Amino acid sequence: MSRSWSARMGKIALTSTAFVLILTLVSTGCTPAPPPKPVERMLRVTAANVPKIDPAIGSDGAAAMGQLNLYDTLVFPNPDGSVRQHLATKWDVSADGLVWEFTLRQGVKFHNGKELTAEDVAFSMDRLLKVGRGWAYLFKGRVNKSEAVSKYVVRFTLTKPFGPFLSTLVRLYVMSKDDVMAHLVKPGAYDDFGDYGTAWLQANDGGSGPYKVKEVKQGEYVLVEQFKDYWNGFKSNSPTSLKIIGTTEPVTVRTLMSRRELEISDSYQSIEALKALGEIPGATVALLPAATMNDLMLNTKKPPTDCLYFRKALAYAVDYATLVQQISPGTPAPIGLVSSAIAGHNPNVEQPTYDLAKAMEYLKKSKYYGKLDKYPVELAWVAEVPDREKIALLVQASCTQLGITINVVRVPWVSLVDKCARPDTTPHGNIVSMSPDYPEAGAHMYARWHSSGAGTWLQMDWLQDKEFDAAIEDALSTIDWGQRLEKYKPLQVRLMEIQPAITLMQGLTRMAYQSNYVVWPAAEAAKNKQPVTVLMGYSMYARDIEVYPEKMPK
Amino acid sequence: MLSYLGKRLVGAVFVLAGLSVVIFLIARVVPGDPVRMALGPQAPQAVVEDLRKQLHLDKPLHVQYYYWVSGAVRGDFGISLMTNRPVTADLKEYLPATLELVLFASILHGLFGLILGIVAAAYSDSWLDNFVRVFAYIGVTTPGFVFAVLFMLIFGYWWHLLPVIGRIGYGVTVPPTITGMMTVDSLLTGNLPAFADALKHLILPSVALSMGAMSQEARITRSSMVENLNKDYIYMSVAQGIPRRIIMRKYLLKPSLIPTVTVFGLGCASTMAGAFLVELIFNWPGFARYGITGMLMKDLNVISATVLVVALCFVVVNIIVDLVVAYLDPRIRLQ
Repeated sequence: MSRSWSARMGKIALTSTAFVLILTLVSTGCTPAPPPKPVERMLRVTAANVPKIDPAIGSDGAAAMGQLNLYDTLVFPNPDGSVRQHLATKWDVSADGLVWEFTLRQGVKFHNGKELTAEDVAFSMDRLLKVGRGWAYLFKGRVNKSEAVSKYVVRFTLTKPFGPFLSTLVRLYVMSKDDVMAHLVKPGAYDDFGDYGTAWLQANDGGSGPYKVKEVKQGEYVLVEQFKDYWNGFKSNSPTSLKIIGTTEPVTVRTLMSRRELEISDSYQSIEALKALGEIPGATVALLPAATMNDLMLNTKKPPTDCLYFRKALAYAVDYATLVQQISPGTPAPIGLVSSAIAGHNPNVEQPTYDLAKAMEYLKKSKYYGKLDKYPVELAWVAEVPDREKIALLVQASCTQLGITINVVRVPWVSLVDKCARPDTTPHGNIVSMSPDYPEAGAHMYARWHSSGAGTWLQMDWLQDKEFDAAIEDALSTIDWGQRLEKYKPLQVRLMEIQPAITLMQGLTRMAYQSNYVVWPAAEAAKNKQPVTVLMGYSMYARDIEVYPEKMPK
Repeated sequence: MLSYLGKRLVGAVFVLAGLSVVIFLIARVVPGDPVRMALGPQAPQAVVEDLRKQLHLDKPLHVQYYYWVSGAVRGDFGISLMTNRPVTADLKEYLPATLELVLFASILHGLFGLILGIVAAAYSDSWLDNFVRVFAYIGVTTPGFVFAVLFMLIFGYWWHLLPVIGRIGYGVTVPPTITGMMTVDSLLTGNLPAFADALKHLILPSVALSMGAMSQEARITRSSMVENLNKDYIYMSVAQGIPRRIIMRKYLLKPSLIPTVTVFGLGCASTMAGAFLVELIFNWPGFARYGITGMLMKDLNVISATVLVVALCFVVVNIIVDLVVAYLDPRIRLQ
């Protein structure tokens, strides 16, 4: 009896299900989606996050990509690490290296239609220093005063001579003073300037760059479109719009690439994911040189890695060939502790090779030899980058043959940042990668080993060598580019002698792109072994890229 | 019923007050210097110290708690180090997206969980019942993000049937923000193309998110109905000549729903908690993703605010579930 009732309920339930399904299908017009319409030359790229487009706030890869397309800078980086004219047509520096004057290009218009003047440049520097975030660290403590000498001449007075000042100006994104002042929110953290336009500049731009903001969807994407009055013009097939999507999820990226809804992938895809992307018809994996160095930072203040011979032994116990051939195929082998892709690299340093006999020789000279069991080495890898565990295990395997006990530890990034604040809490070995802020060896060496940065994750080796500090300061105060690069070279030799770190691999940026309808100069140059600008974000200068939607496969 | 509701609300206030202390402390126990994380390793120490002062991080813990609570009761959760905006502004933007997702997923698991349970009970021990049971086992044991990846591959990668990222398609006129929920706002403004497009974008993430709770509800409904179906009072009701539809609706379905409603409540809360990976895969600009990113960046204000909001959702859902259960089961009201 009750069975027949329940059967009736079952029928009602089934009918309801069918009804709901039909309703959903009808309401959404659930037919196969039409192929993407090649109506405009849109360039869609994925990034680690949705860019923070305010130059005084964001300074990561995604931010750099957004900012350099929205704003102009005084100078523009060349592939060899030098800079060329951009907003500035000429510049002069005083004999003492303290006063820099830049003559601006005339007739450059902001996206609001107003002309860019020296006052805007000085204002941009002042705002950056006052807000203090984003790229401010490049100028804070170095720039004393910014002033407009005339409508088209801007002057910066430095606190002390700083040779690479010109190179760092590729991160001074010039914004319209009028735009910012018209959008101040008061009260704010910056006294009379209220919030200094930070709220407005999250979803708008005040720039003069080749693209202007069309739409910012927090947590989703930034969409920018061509600025028709751009002073430097466009190529005939430059993208009409650029969409930076904040996702690196492999399945999402792969799906978007296969649907031709993504032109260039982010650089965070694993080797396996890139292989799958490369198999999509028309897609190619580009291998771009990068200034990043993947280091094993050794804590020089903690036994047993405080011993030079112990560190040398570790350096000769790393199987570099396996690293660059199997763990990260295609990655250049290291030559010294500075990337060979940046200016001032010294190719003539003594680079350790995988040689266990030599490692043992050094180990025997170490004061810890014979009591290695009492000094286990803690080797930390960042939990958010699983590929690094392979590297840690490889080092562990080699060291075991030498009798060194390596404890491989997975550490979340926030914990590592906390641990590296003090030498006693910093692990003995830390696998971390780092990119210089401007493409000069000095930028890398100063950030990595100058004592002023001790206690941060950039300096988990705790070198704190006064002699080195003085030498790098001297090099950085040298105004002449050629002389400065020469001064970097002996410093790299010195670093290899004291071995505060072991470079495991040089950086290589791997990104998949739709090579059948996108012409990407950076990828083409890398393929043809020509130099590429390694400065973060600059390979994605959309104005240089060409998109041919008509060639998009059906 | 009103006094019952009153008791539950008073209890909720104490729960939230206790939670606020726990949340505040947990956020600060997580390792890492939030200011250094936000400003980067090369920020000058003076800038780091300034920001630390702005955030009151230079003050003792109880003073920090005072600042935080006094702000929170006014709806001011401070500034996010991650987005450099007031957390309240971020919540206004991200929360509706997740609520829309969770709401749609809840409708799906509530409706289909119940239907599948009824069908399985109605045809118990038949092939249909076995099918539902296997489906439910798979649904319960498989995490939502696995379904998300699977659905994306099937409906996005192979069949190109549905959109795979975002809340609305490129070129579709976005409805003005009223509730922040794209489907609701487009309906309220009569923008049907936007509604259809937003609904399309919702299907894959919400179905993926609802699978676990749907399976659980199907299992519970089935077992509860099968158990009640053979109880003596059902036979007695038949013997008394009570019409079948009344027996079915009043005496069979109603008591069988009590465990389902409880599980439904938990399901709603768990979809919110499990939304992170689904939001990540479908690039859904939601609250769960915002909260987890905040945790990874050790953004104290974001952590505190998001955990508090999730706790509030749990409390509200629990109260609603208790009320529904009390309505369905008079014994609970009378107690």
